Amino acid sequence: MIELQGLTKIYGDKTVVDDVSLRVDSGEFGVLIGPSGCGKSTTLRMINRLIPASRGRILLGEDDITRLPVEQLRRRIGYAIQSIGLFPHWSVAKNIAVVPGLLKWPKSRIDERVDELMGLFHLDAGELRDKYPHQLSGGQAQRVGVARALAADPEVLLMDEPFGAVDPLTREVLQDELLRVHRHTRKTIIFVTHDMDEALKLASRIALLNAGRLVQYDRPIELLTRPANDFVRSFIGKADLGLKLLSRRWVHQYQQPATLRGASDESVRISGYAWEVDKEGRPVCLHGGRLHAEDTQERTGVTPEWSATPDMTMKEALSRMVWFRVMVLPVLDSEGRLVGEVTMHGVMGQQPCA
Amino acid sequence: MAHDRVPGDEERHTGSLVTNRVLLTLLVAALLGVVLLPFASMAPNRLMSGQAVGVTAAMLSWQWLALAGLAGILTACALSRPFPARLARWLTLTAAPLWLLLALYGLGDYASRALQDASPAARVSQGAAFWILVFCPILMIIDAFQRLGSSLAVRGLYSVVLVVLVGAMFAGDTFDALSIMREYANNKGTFTAEFLAHLRLVGLALGPALLMGLPLGLLARRHPTARGPLFGALNFFQTIPSIALFALLVAPLSALGEALPWLKAIGVGGIGAAPAVIALIMYSLLPVVRNTYAGFAGVPATTIEAARGMGMTSRQILWKIEVPLALPVILSGLRIVTVQAIGLTVVAALIGAGGLGAFIFQGLGQYAIDLVLLGAVPTIALAVVADFLLQILVALSKPAGMR
Repeated sequence: MIELQGLTKIYGDKTVVDDVSLRVDSGEFGVLIGPSGCGKSTTLRMINRLIPASRGRILLGEDDITRLPVEQLRRRIGYAIQSIGLFPHWSVAKNIAVVPGLLKWPKSRIDERVDELMGLFHLDAGELRDKYPHQLSGGQAQRVGVARALAADPEVLLMDEPFGAVDPLTREVLQDELLRVHRHTRKTIIFVTHDMDEALKLASRIALLNAGRLVQYDRPIELLTRPANDFVRSFIGKADLGLKLLSRRWVHQYQQPATLRGASDESVRISGYAWEVDKEGRPVCLHGGRLHAEDTQERTGVTPEWSATPDMTMKEALSRMVWFRVMVLPVLDSEGRLVGEVTMHGVMGQQPCA
Repeated sequence: MAHDRVPGDEERHTGSLVTNRVLLTLLVAALLGVVLLPFASMAPNRLMSGQAVGVTAAMLSWQWLALAGLAGILTACALSRPFPARLARWLTLTAAPLWLLLALYGLGDYASRALQDASPAARVSQGAAFWILVFCPILMIIDAFQRLGSSLAVRGLYSVVLVVLVGAMFAGDTFDALSIMREYANNKGTFTAEFLAHLRLVGLALGPALLMGLPLGLLARRHPTARGPLFGALNFFQTIPSIALFALLVAPLSALGEALPWLKAIGVGGIGAAPAVIALIMYSLLPVVRNTYAGFAGVPATTIEAARGMGMTSRQILWKIEVPLALPVILSGLRIVTVQAIGLTVVAALIGAGGLGAFIFQGLGQYAIDLVLLGAVPTIALAVVADFLLQILVALSKPAGMR
């Protein structure tokens, strides 16, 4: 748990961070977001005392961070920045082992930990252990950076725009991985970004800052549906508000029982479409359900691209429906069995509630 | 040599006949030198200027024919046919040292033959064509290694073998008849002493220069306000001509020596080693400080922030992150000052500090060119060897991840 109480930073006569109070509970994924110069990075660096606070307190668990020796504090807090922060003269393994080494872990334990973390981030230890940072791809270097921050099993992980320097495709993959690792480790994370889509995708709570002040601190869905003021509204952006909202909704929330094709074609006639499944319960094809309701005889073969999983965002599900021009999408479990369906009507019908 | 060093680059120009222009240029230079310039000179005594002797006159016919044969092979190496590029380079690395050894042997052999029937005072010295015949193969070897992109270990081993072979010729009696070696024989006792004095002066200057320069460079990095005045002062010293600086130090140091007898007892005085060492330190300081500063300034700020953020202490950041990353640049600075100090120490002989410069100024005074060379040639050799060794050190200091 991390709690900021009236945190303030003043440079000369300029107040960069102004009386910010917020609390990130254990296991939460908190994102600090705001336009450049809003003080989000300064706030983050005050947590591990890279920048001393002018006023206010920060609690790490029960402890006031100023009471702890500064190096000891920093070894309890993971810190990841853009990939350039890797030490260029050290191998991947040695980079990951920095904090355990500082904490004087025995060598065998460090080696085990390095292998474990490389596995967690899908880094091939056999191939990459002894490589140097400049031999890695951008995505690999970033994974190493996050693995290094997690190496000594810190209570809190601070991340300062860690994915800012990688291409959009890699960024998406890294975000998915970070979410998986977060789910797996239940670390408390504080993550700084200026990208609203990234914040919406990752955060369990978003703190929106402007000119050093905390404007709103809420769950993402509340930020979207109950913005505190016009600044929040304009920062989120009105143009694709609906899609942003759907990026925080999941297929399982919209899922409904699938209409199976019976012995007769009655079901198709009633709902306009029906699923044909094989003996194992895997969908084979869809009868009807195309854009024009009269095409009931049209069959659409089920493919991995044209289907959804319960943990997919509704934004992606909607995108697939639009792309394949079908009004309904099968929801499959991990075995590929049909467990339900999401429909265009469902997307439109449900109220965007918190 | 502003030559394109992409390995295998010239293999692509299969159309042109000449694949190695550097090698061909050196061969042409050697040919012109041999035709136009004297290989050796013969004088009735050490002070009179000698009579020029050409290559074909000085060397036995088998010697210059062998030299011509080697030149032929090297010419073939510079062309696209008949040898493939890699073979041509290794052939160059075989033929060029043979050429070098042959030129050295040819001169020594000529000297001993020529002096057999001459008066005891007669002298044989090396001529301009001899130097060309020595430096051309050395440049060919350097060029071939660069084109091959050989590792440091291979180059080092090759150089050691070559130096041992040349050293063996010196240790034997090949050159004994040559004028410069006569001078050496006459000054045998003092040569070793002056050589060691030279090394001692360089060492006495570099030690304190490093001890002061490294912290000053770090200081300049840590405190931007100190940077301006510090570099200003050091730049000022650098602009004073060396002889002037030596002379300027004579008066205050002799006064100091007079005032404090214990200083005089340990050798501080107006002339001798003390002003020389002080001047050398002042000259060495700027490159050391500048490279130390540049080395530390080159460590990315984000790397240091990451280190701080992970809980390294300032001392750990200095020794584990900053020093290893700055070391190659700092050592390049050491390379510059070492070569510079070896050269400047020659001038220190003027104020009685000793060193190889003593022979040079003595020779200049007596108009005995071979005595000048007895001081100059070892100084050059010393500088080349120091440069080579420090170059290896710089390469080794580059962290494995950045080589």
